[in-house]
Amino acid sequence: MATQYEIPIGAQHISLLEPLHFKFTTENEKIIKAEANVGYVHRGIEQACCSKFKFRQVSFVVGRVCGLCSISHTTCYSQVIERMMSLDIPRKAKYLRMLVIELDRIHSHLLCLSHVAENSGFEALFMKTMAYREFSMELLEAVCGNRIQYDYSIVGGVTRDLREDVARMILERLKTFKPQLDELVDIYGNNYTLGLKNKGVGVLTKEDVYHLSAVGPFARAAGVPIDVRNETEDRLPWKEVGFEVVTENSGDVWARNMVRLRELYVSMRIIENVINGLPEGDIALDFKGFPNGEAINRVEAPRGELFYYAKGNKTQILERLKIKAPTFSNVPSMVHGFKNNEYASAPAIIGSYDPCLSCTSR
Amino acid sequence: MKSFFNAIGNLFRKPVTTPFPVAPTYIPDDYRGLIVFEESLCIWCRKCEMACPPGAIVFSQDIETGKQEYHYSPYVCIYCKECVRACPAPGALMQSGEPGHPGLKEQNVNNKWNKLFNEALDSRAAYAAEKKRKQAEAKAAAAKANEDNKPKD
Repeated sequence: MATQYEIPIGAQHISLLEPLHFKFTTENEKIIKAEANVGYVHRGIEQACCSKFKFRQVSFVVGRVCGLCSISHTTCYSQVIERMMSLDIPRKAKYLRMLVIELDRIHSHLLCLSHVAENSGFEALFMKTMAYREFSMELLEAVCGNRIQYDYSIVGGVTRDLREDVARMILERLKTFKPQLDELVDIYGNNYTLGLKNKGVGVLTKEDVYHLSAVGPFARAAGVPIDVRNETEDRLPWKEVGFEVVTENSGDVWARNMVRLRELYVSMRIIENVINGLPEGDIALDFKGFPNGEAINRVEAPRGELFYYAKGNKTQILERLKIKAPTFSNVPSMVHGFKNNEYASAPAIIGSYDPCLSCTSR
Repeated sequence: MKSFFNAIGNLFRKPVTTPFPVAPTYIPDDYRGLIVFEESLCIWCRKCEMACPPGAIVFSQDIETGKQEYHYSPYVCIYCKECVRACPAPGALMQSGEPGHPGLKEQNVNNKWNKLFNEALDSRAAYAAEKKRKQAEAKAAAAKANEDNKPKD
């Protein structure tokens, strides 16, 4: 038996985007065991939402849970309160929420892809992907007035209308992005050196996904079509705007890259359909009263299924708010995915997991 | 192989980045900037203060005259426009396109604002107590006058 070494990575490390700690037990460069420690960025947001802020203000607080999927959090919170109070929001607000969620997905997926390239040692592709990502940030700024903290969804609708010239600008930019995305698909799919680092690395099989309950692109790369957009229709009409599930079969880093890239085509199609078929009407609903009772809601964030539970007691302040972020569900499968891989591929595998620890530890 | 030629070709292409301090970056027309207050149109209902998520707006009250004063911290504000949506008087609060400036250490932004916030709340409580006391005094005086005016038998 070879000597076993324990190698820690994180909580602060160059290749990690987020404060996440892994402890690997290696044997001749091969990882035989991994342990994860999450929860370095606990900020007590759930407690603040239930004590300090009124229920209408909470949608701005939960938007600050995560910088990348800010809109998913605010939408999910708004929907959980709407469910509790049985509000039916205007159709236009639903469409605008879908628009911003998909724009957000483009920028989040491109960020993840660029970091996979960087962690695999392909700096030029990292720069290229980041340069192509810039258009989505500008579009989000044009739609929401801000690049990162969108504050777009509120309880009862959305805050801003989509202007004509902004809609035209989105369609134009998407047209220029399409050939760029084709180029990225070509590089991520067919580049030989990137394939050496990504193909057959960090494999998670279909059985593992069912066994360890992974969600998001992580699960879809292993061939399991888990997607909240495919399952629920009552809060946001995804099927109407041309959504379809994207899956791959091999379950390795390469398959996760391809799932994310091909989801961008679906996102672009949804955005085009939303803008072309935007209904007339109000963007927000006026309502009175306070939330009472319990409700749950799910939204497909860029990283997977986001879950909210809320309990109201007929006052301004909620009694309980529970946030379960997609990365929280993925932690067991993340640990499992390292087994029997080279230690040198660990950064690329972590990049392909796209972990969001700010969401996980709130 | 294609990416190799691309990499060589990139040596002669222009950079995709914008030379930021020299050339301006993209800023939309309805950028979310600082909140502007118009005192002449305000009806002093304090709805903006109640709606503001981070507590960047507070009204203080003069103990003698009862006149309210608006205080706003651009460093605490998150530019969410919730106050403008809550405002029942059109034009009293507006969102400008001017971006907020970073606070400096010398300005002592956080502690100064927290102190001002608490003082404003205290001033309102003091005014309410004073008003109550004055009302009670007036009531007592009226009752006394009533008693004095009562014909004694």
